[in-house]
Amino acid sequence: MSELVTTVADYAQAEAVITAGADRLYLGEDEFGLRLPHSFQRAELNEIVELAHQNNVKVTVAVNAIFHNDRIAMVGEYLRFLAQIKVDEVSIGDPGAINILQREQLGLPYIYDAADLVTSSRQINFWGKHGATAAVLAHEVPYQEMVPLSKNVAIPVEITVYGAIVIHQSGRPLLQNYSNFVQEHLAQTDRQRGLFIATPHHEETHYSIYEDRNGTHIFANNDLDLLTDLPKLWALGLRRWKLDGLFADVTTFSQIVAVFAQARDLLLAGTATPEALAELDRQVHELQPAARGLDNGFFDLDPDEVK
Amino acid sequence: MLTAVKHPEVLAPAGTPEKLKVAIDYGADAVYIGGDAYGLRSRAGNFSFEEMRVGADYAHQHNAKVYVAANIVAHEQNLAGAGSFYRQVRDAGIDAVIVSDPSLIETAITEAPGLKVHLSTQASATNYETLNFWQHEGLERVVLAREVGIAEIKEMRQHTDVQIEAFVHGAMCIGYSGRCVLSNHLSLRDANRGGCAQNCRWKYDLFDIPDLGQKRELLGHGPDGKTEKFSMSAVDMAMIEHIPDLVEAGVDSLKIEGRMKTVHYVSTVANVYSTAVRQYCADPAHYQLDPAWVDELWKVAQRELSTGFYYGTPDEDFQLFGKRRRLSHYAFVGEVLAYDAVTKQVTVQQRNNFGIGDEIEFYGPNFAHHKQVVTDLFDDQDQAIERAPHAMQVVHFTCAQPVHPGDFVRAQAQHS
Repeated sequence: MSELVTTVADYAQAEAVITAGADRLYLGEDEFGLRLPHSFQRAELNEIVELAHQNNVKVTVAVNAIFHNDRIAMVGEYLRFLAQIKVDEVSIGDPGAINILQREQLGLPYIYDAADLVTSSRQINFWGKHGATAAVLAHEVPYQEMVPLSKNVAIPVEITVYGAIVIHQSGRPLLQNYSNFVQEHLAQTDRQRGLFIATPHHEETHYSIYEDRNGTHIFANNDLDLLTDLPKLWALGLRRWKLDGLFADVTTFSQIVAVFAQARDLLLAGTATPEALAELDRQVHELQPAARGLDNGFFDLDPDEVK
Repeated sequence: MLTAVKHPEVLAPAGTPEKLKVAIDYGADAVYIGGDAYGLRSRAGNFSFEEMRVGADYAHQHNAKVYVAANIVAHEQNLAGAGSFYRQVRDAGIDAVIVSDPSLIETAITEAPGLKVHLSTQASATNYETLNFWQHEGLERVVLAREVGIAEIKEMRQHTDVQIEAFVHGAMCIGYSGRCVLSNHLSLRDANRGGCAQNCRWKYDLFDIPDLGQKRELLGHGPDGKTEKFSMSAVDMAMIEHIPDLVEAGVDSLKIEGRMKTVHYVSTVANVYSTAVRQYCADPAHYQLDPAWVDELWKVAQRELSTGFYYGTPDEDFQLFGKRRRLSHYAFVGEVLAYDAVTKQVTVQQRNNFGIGDEIEFYGPNFAHHKQVVTDLFDDQDQAIERAPHAMQVVHFTCAQPVHPGDFVRAQAQHS
């Protein structure tokens, strides 16, 4: 079994990624979900669920925000709506939302997604015992740790194989606060503004930063690309792969999905040679937005290198 | 009319056995410490199990509690031995562990039965459903995320009876605690396993890319016209002026940050908050903030102070931008070993250089204070000296007002 999960920015892109080979769409609205390419209103969401189901593709809706009292109070009604339009799964990162999901008894499965916090098999199995049908692994877990982890987990694990990696979420409007202080750059601090920061003495670095309903978000220097590492994940049985198009070009993202789908098909057929994967990876690099670098993140890190 | 109200706990940090004793002597109802493993302050002086036992005994004799912070987010290789760790913590007489990672919570509950578990602020609990989830798991208490406001705590209190602990003083993460791996990515140090490099306090260059253009640096300028780079550095928190709000909202434990901080800091802050809470709870109707408490906190402040998220989303004044306000710097110069009421001689063990002509300040538990100028000074051979330059040097000098063993002495630093 394998599964390609991809984000969705609009209806046309949903059609395109389905054609490209996506098995599951991931989307939602900012009121409930984190760092989404588009905040879908309910009618739009319904249309995409119908489209997906017509094509035998599943839909996961993001309910993974860090909720305060005012917003947790709206989660029950939202989950009921999602169950009613036959969404296949929700993602949850706040245990309060799990409390509500189970109280409502909607029969709606959830994948646990708390960004950087999910780092061990025992934690994944903890959520499994609390009803999670899968869990999203933190990007900070290197391959060497995935090896024992993959043997110990009782539920499927989702690994991000392409896209922007969040490294910070603040409840404060950090860009707005800075703008207020300097009385400059005030106009826009959202994702479309395209702001990024560089670390001291490393002007070439590129950490995207924006603000939205959920606070301020900062992303890793390069986008993640595990295409040539897919055989290793495949061998471990970690085969639920997410592609995140948050910062990808809306049209080329579906082409990137198609490239990863080809890699998946090669692995499925047992014909994935290093050369073939290198060629596919070259295509990913070609499709990648010029201003955004690619690397394989923490994948090759020796766990002992991290202090 | 308000009568006496339930006294919430004042919870102080104790990086070492010495600080544990000091915090309790200075009024803390509970302290939190770190063990040799599973804690987030790898550089704080952590406690062995034997030191935990001694510390817990001391605390219990003084009607206080000791909690062990074991709040890392574990990776695969950190899991072995966790059960044994928690059992030894329990058997040392520790009152509760503060845990963030659900796998470690489960281990503590199932493998060390009887050990109470508190959810760490690292888990970012921000609503009552989350509090109820963890209570149902068997947790005694939840330490709230620092993003929660007073009004939100009041509302939580109406929906849950799990104990609520909230930070009232000290340094703050700029992001949701636990949801920040800047340190992992920028410094290869795991923020969630005790390695945080405080990258949020760096100065960053800010850029955009105009349509079809090259990247462009966005330079900002402060009110003084000087270049001001982008930063995410939070000022510290001080809720001393809002004790009634915290108590009335239903907070069970008022937490002071700072396991890495000095004895001077721990004694001063524990003293101020325990005095304020005690006075408020004894007679809420006539309670008044003593401006001396605020002054006292400024003496150990490392950054400017704010109320965090308690009264709204923090704006630019709650971050460190521009020219820093000049903070008064006080040095911890000694500890009182003895006082002779007949000769009016105080014997002091030196902690920092001081001498004749310096204005010094004695302070002790229950907010006892005495200021004076040093007019004479003698070493332990009764030889007259000008200054006490040696660490741990024992000296004596004239002090007109009685002070007590265990009282501390501070002086305004000459070069601040």
